[in-house]
Amino acid sequence: MTLVQQSNATAGGSGSGNLYDVLELILDRGLVIDAFVRVSLVGIEILKIDVRVVVASVDTYLRFAEACNRLDLESGRKAPSQLTEIVGDMTENGAKGKSKGVLGGAVEAISDSIQGKRDDAEEEPKKRSARKSASGRKAKGDEE
Amino acid sequence: MPTYVYAVTGADHPLPLHDLTGVGDPPTPLRALRADGLAAVAGDAPPGLRAKRRDVLAHQGVLEALMRDGATLPMRFGLVGPDDDEVVAALRREADVYRERLAELDGHVEYNLKAVRDEADLLREVVSDSAEIRQLNEQTRADEGDHDKRVALGEMVAREVTTRHQREADEVASRLAPAATRSHLADPGPQQFLNVSFLVPRTDADTFVAAVRQEADRRGDAYAFTLTGPLPPYSFV
Repeated sequence: MTLVQQSNATAGGSGSGNLYDVLELILDRGLVIDAFVRVSLVGIEILKIDVRVVVASVDTYLRFAEACNRLDLESGRKAPSQLTEIVGDMTENGAKGKSKGVLGGAVEAISDSIQGKRDDAEEEPKKRSARKSASGRKAKGDEE
Repeated sequence: MPTYVYAVTGADHPLPLHDLTGVGDPPTPLRALRADGLAAVAGDAPPGLRAKRRDVLAHQGVLEALMRDGATLPMRFGLVGPDDDEVVAALRREADVYRERLAELDGHVEYNLKAVRDEADLLREVVSDSAEIRQLNEQTRADEGDHDKRVALGEMVAREVTTRHQREADEVASRLAPAATRSHLADPGPQQFLNVSFLVPRTDADTFVAAVRQEADRRGDAYAFTLTGPLPPYSFV
């Protein structure tokens, strides 16, 4: 099993912490006061809609088909002696890696958007490094 | 001057505002606007504020600090009122509702749980459970040119994946529900099958985390759980 427990978004040395995991809470939930205006989140809202469109597209179907074609159906169910190999395979091609292949574009895009236009010095120079620092806390930096 | 609002608390909250860093560059100082036994934690709204990372983190940081010292209703990021008087008027207008929610949420924190399942593990299950999918898989593997069959296979698999994701999300959420006061199920992000927030009494937090750990253990290596908290109760205001 894997359980990563994160205390909160602002703790820790990486600066970005696990902000990405609580972004939707901060941006989409919480109390609102009627008639007060909200700062623009336009880019982020559009990207969230994109995620749902992508899920039911022919492109997604073809990638699922390809993923099934590539599956080694035997490896997951048999022969304890292959266990090490399976584990190795999962580490390389596990959920995060593979589903990133299917839907990763939208995630990257949202991640990019939350960094804003990088017009202030505190923000990290590249979105990749920001993702890595967030991921590093989850011990999956090796998959990036 | 427009007023940025972070949170609503009870008037008895100590509000250590001088220690906190607000949104804006340079950060704008925080102040308390009081009315009817409530306080709104606010500051001048920086011109051109957007959902930039630094500002989202500042908002979150203020709320995390406030929740440590007493019941706090977290505002959604980026909420701006015309001026202080309008914020005070809004507090008065909704005072009963806010006081009721503060009482409900007192001593509670939010935990957000996201879960993913290894895709190959799930697809292996999908393929072995359906003769039709297995057959299409073999056919398309042998003949890469058959576009329609590949789409048909992918569509069937996608449907199975969605069904199984939903079922597993319901299972995990209902197994953890007894350890929490309330829960809020949300759309999972890409890669995830579960995205759920729990409202947990602060004093029971350890028990709740242990229950999550137990569930993660039970699910096995193909699953990865990410539990974040304690958080301000964004999903329960």
